[in-house]
Amino acid sequence: MKQERIKDLFSDWRVLVLIVLLVLSVIAIYPHFDSNGNLTTNLQYGLDFQQGSWIQLEFKSEVVGFTTTEPVDTFVTNLSKSLDTDVVQVDANHLEIRKSYTQAELQPYFEAEDGTVVSYQPGISATTADLVKQILVDKINSMGTKDAKVNTITGLNGVTQYVRVEMAGVDMNQAQQIVGKQGKFEIRIQTTGNQTDHVLYGDSITSVQVPSQSPAGSGNWGVGFTLSADGASTFQNTAIKYGATTDPADHKLTMLLDNKSVYSAPLSQALAGSLQSEPTTQLFASTGSGTSGEQQATNLEIQLRAGALPVDVAIAGSGSTSASLGQHYMEMCLIAGIFALIMVAFVIFYRYREPRIVLPMVLINASEIVILLGFISVIQFQMDLPTVAGLIAVLGTGIDQLVVITDEILHEGLVPSPNIYLKRLARALTIIVIAAATVLIAMLPLALMDLSTLKGFAIITMMGVIIGVLVTRPAYGRIIMDILSE
Amino acid sequence: MGLFHYNIEKYSPKQLVIIPMVLLAISLVVLAYVTVTVGMPVTPGIDFSGGTAVTVITSDTTAQIQSEFAGYPLVSVSEGLNNGKFITFGTMSDAQYQSLTALVASKYPDAQIDQIGESFGKTLQDQAFIALIIAFIGMAIVVFVSFRTFVPSCAVVLSAFADMVMTAAMMNVVGIQLSLGTTAALLMLIGYSVDSDILLTTRVLKRQGKLNDKLTGAFRTGIIMTSTTIAAVTVLLIVSWAGQVVVIEEISAVLLMGLIFDILNTWLTNVGILKWYVLKGGGK
Repeated sequence: MKQERIKDLFSDWRVLVLIVLLVLSVIAIYPHFDSNGNLTTNLQYGLDFQQGSWIQLEFKSEVVGFTTTEPVDTFVTNLSKSLDTDVVQVDANHLEIRKSYTQAELQPYFEAEDGTVVSYQPGISATTADLVKQILVDKINSMGTKDAKVNTITGLNGVTQYVRVEMAGVDMNQAQQIVGKQGKFEIRIQTTGNQTDHVLYGDSITSVQVPSQSPAGSGNWGVGFTLSADGASTFQNTAIKYGATTDPADHKLTMLLDNKSVYSAPLSQALAGSLQSEPTTQLFASTGSGTSGEQQATNLEIQLRAGALPVDVAIAGSGSTSASLGQHYMEMCLIAGIFALIMVAFVIFYRYREPRIVLPMVLINASEIVILLGFISVIQFQMDLPTVAGLIAVLGTGIDQLVVITDEILHEGLVPSPNIYLKRLARALTIIVIAAATVLIAMLPLALMDLSTLKGFAIITMMGVIIGVLVTRPAYGRIIMDILSE
Repeated sequence: MGLFHYNIEKYSPKQLVIIPMVLLAISLVVLAYVTVTVGMPVTPGIDFSGGTAVTVITSDTTAQIQSEFAGYPLVSVSEGLNNGKFITFGTMSDAQYQSLTALVASKYPDAQIDQIGESFGKTLQDQAFIALIIAFIGMAIVVFVSFRTFVPSCAVVLSAFADMVMTAAMMNVVGIQLSLGTTAALLMLIGYSVDSDILLTTRVLKRQGKLNDKLTGAFRTGIIMTSTTIAAVTVLLIVSWAGQVVVIEEISAVLLMGLIFDILNTWLTNVGILKWYVLKGGGK
């Protein structure tokens, strides 16, 4: 009889789903001993729990909605000249202005070119954001930082205001050196006398080669680099416009990193000649001969590579955790979690004084946390401190709802018939579903918005509620029915 | 069997709601006062106002730390157990910040540094505000759709509102600043504080029986629900306070205050209004 019951219980779908999910979660968390004999899991920890740094950069740029009576091309060109910066057309109605201006500052410039500012949003377009992200990823990879993440933070209007870089195993100072000191690379051309004009920014350079000798074996060092097709034609047009192709010596090209000259030389005779008739994408900057030439070529390579952010940036926020503090936080969270579970069990025992009710409650409560951790492992979410607080809150409220189920079933005496039992369970689940819906809706804005670290926290909390309503609470209802009708 | 005996039937609706309504009024005055003086209902921490926080475990005294960082816009140094120190700075330029991080790195290599720029803080603040408003409206919509009766739904929403307002006012009183973590705690409160209100309303409106029996039954269940959460949160508060885990300490302190106010608002405010509604002839 009793065995039959247990068999029945374990073939119930609610209980089965719970068991299957529990097993899957344990597999996903995968607790095991590593090669040093330490217990580890597949859980990933964010920068709160391990040594690392994060830096969030803010773009000194804005996306502006505009109208104009002029032809758009002319308007953009003129505006770019008067604002003395790159102005890129994002779509039919929006411009990206790559310099920090307020809306009030922009208004007169737009009016002077027969245009108006319709909307104003600090940040960069999605296309530029992708470019920035790629540049940063390349830059960090070339520095040999192993575990880095670069995320652009884009508002609902499609404008990217921030980029966030997270690097494990790197302290704040190193992180600042790698990311914070972002240079802006520019090529300018000498027009008349000491005057120069803008030719290209670093974003027109598609690749940079390692230092080499040209011709090979000549001892004449330099760095080859490749321009995009647009960049190449701009380069050709500008060179012709100022007469650099006919008189290279008086129209030197200067490369600037953060507005400081890092390289200056005239066009070679051969290049000047060929530019006159066609654009070229392959360029070679010679730096001289011997060891000094080689050294300069190496520096120039880094400058060409590393200084390639098209937009100025400022540090919007940053943070770092040391290895020992991360370890300390982890221990504290573990202690808090275990003690919270014990305390909750204690309160429940005080209320029901019945181990047959308390034990399943606490076990179901703990299994909810295990399944949630399994889910966290699967999506490779990096746990941080707010998430732990969220998990412990799930622990506290999860048991609330088990209390609702238990009390609803115990209402008006024990051992109800299965029919009445199911009615009561359904009523309890109504309360639970409404309560769960309020938590879901309260967390939704956080999950959709980009409030820094809170997005993950909101998703985990919502997931906890969903797992509770769909899996653990129905299973508990089935298990407690068996126990109570004994 | 609860921790204390509470006889709901003894009191009239008016008697029930008077205490929380007075508290709500005082809380609103506190929030208004802080808004006028600081510009926000709750004093913002560095997450929203911009600034730098350094967490470090050191045996250096507060005075030593103050002289160490004399050249920087030092705001406060707070101490926890085990020599934990939490040092906050006001906003500074990128260059000054870089020199600060270099100093911290050489002096306290195991420190944790968090820094938020002023404009980024402003963005976070705007988003947090919108998140709170949307969450609250969303919660109200769920409640109204679920119960489809005006007065009981209003009672639930009013209780949740009072929870938020009293908790926010209390944050000012005990000196907890509004940060990303405490915003998360307030959002959690919006969701979780209505649990017991929903239980109460469902029991009273959808169950057969005498009103006072239903109220007593709901209280028995509801108070144990809140007690379990309070138990979990209290443990969290004690451990994080002892271990100087500031983020969690603030989150759990706000949750704890919110849950205590929730008991008050559910079993005085909400019960009072619901009782008045049923006695007047509403409900079944």
